[in-house]
Amino acid sequence: MLNPYNNPNIEEFEIKENLMSVIKKRFSTYGYQQIRTPAFESYDMYSNITGTVSKGEMIKVIDPSGDVLVLRPDVTIPLTKMISKSLLREQRLFYIQDVYRQNSQREITESTQAGVECFGENSPFIDAEVIILAIHTLRDLGLKNFKIEVGHAGFFKEIIEQIQVTGQQLEQIKALIQSKNVIEMEPYLSSLTISTEAKEAIRQIPVMYGDPETVIQQAKELTLNENMENILQRLMEINELIKDYNASDYILFNLGLINHMNYYSGVIFQGFVGNVGMPVLMGGRYDHLGEQFSNSVPAIGFAFDVDLLLQARKQQGLNISVDSAADICIFYDQNRQKEALSMSYELRNYGYKVITNITGLPAKKHVYFSGDRSPYLGGNEKQPFTTMEELLQLLKQNEGEQN
Amino acid sequence: MERITIALAKGRPAKSTIELLKKTGSRFQDLHEDSRKLLFYNEDNTMKLIFVKALDVPTYVEKGAADIGIVGKDNIMESEADVYELLDLQIGKCMFAVAGKPNHTVPSGKPLTIATKYPNVARRHFQKKGQEIEVVKLNGSVELAPIIGLADYIVDIVETGNTLRENGLVVHEEMDAISTRLIVNKASFATKSKEVQQFIQQLRTAMEG
Repeated sequence: MLNPYNNPNIEEFEIKENLMSVIKKRFSTYGYQQIRTPAFESYDMYSNITGTVSKGEMIKVIDPSGDVLVLRPDVTIPLTKMISKSLLREQRLFYIQDVYRQNSQREITESTQAGVECFGENSPFIDAEVIILAIHTLRDLGLKNFKIEVGHAGFFKEIIEQIQVTGQQLEQIKALIQSKNVIEMEPYLSSLTISTEAKEAIRQIPVMYGDPETVIQQAKELTLNENMENILQRLMEINELIKDYNASDYILFNLGLINHMNYYSGVIFQGFVGNVGMPVLMGGRYDHLGEQFSNSVPAIGFAFDVDLLLQARKQQGLNISVDSAADICIFYDQNRQKEALSMSYELRNYGYKVITNITGLPAKKHVYFSGDRSPYLGGNEKQPFTTMEELLQLLKQNEGEQN
Repeated sequence: MERITIALAKGRPAKSTIELLKKTGSRFQDLHEDSRKLLFYNEDNTMKLIFVKALDVPTYVEKGAADIGIVGKDNIMESEADVYELLDLQIGKCMFAVAGKPNHTVPSGKPLTIATKYPNVARRHFQKKGQEIEVVKLNGSVELAPIIGLADYIVDIVETGNTLRENGLVVHEEMDAISTRLIVNKASFATKSKEVQQFIQQLRTAMEG
């Protein structure tokens, strides 16, 4: 017989729900509270902000009064706007919501993001704690072989401020760093008229990757000013804190990490799981984004791509579907309907999954009200009972035997 | 050791890449360029080799279906894939160029019509120069387009220039240099660091030898 519980849609939904509940639980143990943002946001809110979702990526809608709205392309921006206008600037928020984008082939993509935003404090302690929260959640999900790459948005920005290049040249330098393209970096840099120190720093950025302490040592040789020294100091402090959490195995430093979201101002990071090609999480510190709305608010956050996490768990054989069968199915003759239905109501009150007079769905236990006999629990032998208490007793005994 | 998957471009460029792989000491059973098999394992199963269409190699690597890809720079540029590009294998050298009839001119301000197999490369190139273009995407015999008036110019790879000459075309502008490159998926670089680095080192040594 066709079992509707084997519907792959139901199964996928259940697996996704379970994954999200693991994430929710972990986020809340770090003091974060769940929040929702509207599905439709003002187009101007996004287009007036520099360094955020590009205009072409947003899905626009026109409302009856002629205003342009977008289908929520991101959650960080509206949350930052809310906090920067609020009197309560110290808040820990999390969300699990769908975001909508349009790619260069004009295909609309819908993906679920699960993220946190920690507003109100700028300290290495908070930076490390947020990174640890990401690691903690990935461990909760049972994932093996994952790494968090940690970098700093300021490191590259400081170098760029020391040199005179055109917008096009800057884009080219960024592209070469992001692809760690040392081969083409060399000839390209020699074509530019910038200081030898800056050239050397840019040349080294792509290879400053791997063990945190080694990377810091390498980077120290290249600092061009005090700001860069402070940045390295901050990264070292974060690394020490991560060590205190015993999480060093999961951390790599990558000073060539440049997030395409331009609003990041401090530590930035992304997480990779083995055999999943794209980052499963991205985040960082963005202390100045609030200024673009009203007040500056120190803030750091990250978001998981839930669909990539599902893919990662599937590849590691972790997406075990839950038992979807009902606990009890009650079969009754017409003359026993009142008894049977009131019993089903009461059993559901106790938390049992109950169906009545349905043969097409699987159930673990069967209760029968037939003829004038006292009701009984089916099984290898009929187990009659007279009161609700007796039935509960029998069900518990049966569970005990099964375990 | 975790197994690494390497994607190679099918066809002409495969030959010299296979030669290079042989030099690294990794042995793949039945591997030669005429084989129709698309999937090979090395002796101790630490490497999987897959053959895919050249333009698909960057996509396979970006999505993580392969950890490493060996493919021409032309295809990397066209795919715009977000990957690491770590090694120049110094083979399959040629260049991108804008070519057309010798005396062809277009009134300034008018958009150029460009015929090409590489629409993204062409768009980016002319965008940088602030020149508006219309792209005609072709899948082969691109040289024909300016001759029969389908396009003002073509953007294509030029190796010796023979094909251009035989069709009465000349290079108007040299663009990027092209050669076979090694690209790596960003997640693999983080999670299979040791394996990936080791493979790159082997290739380097083989290139020197």
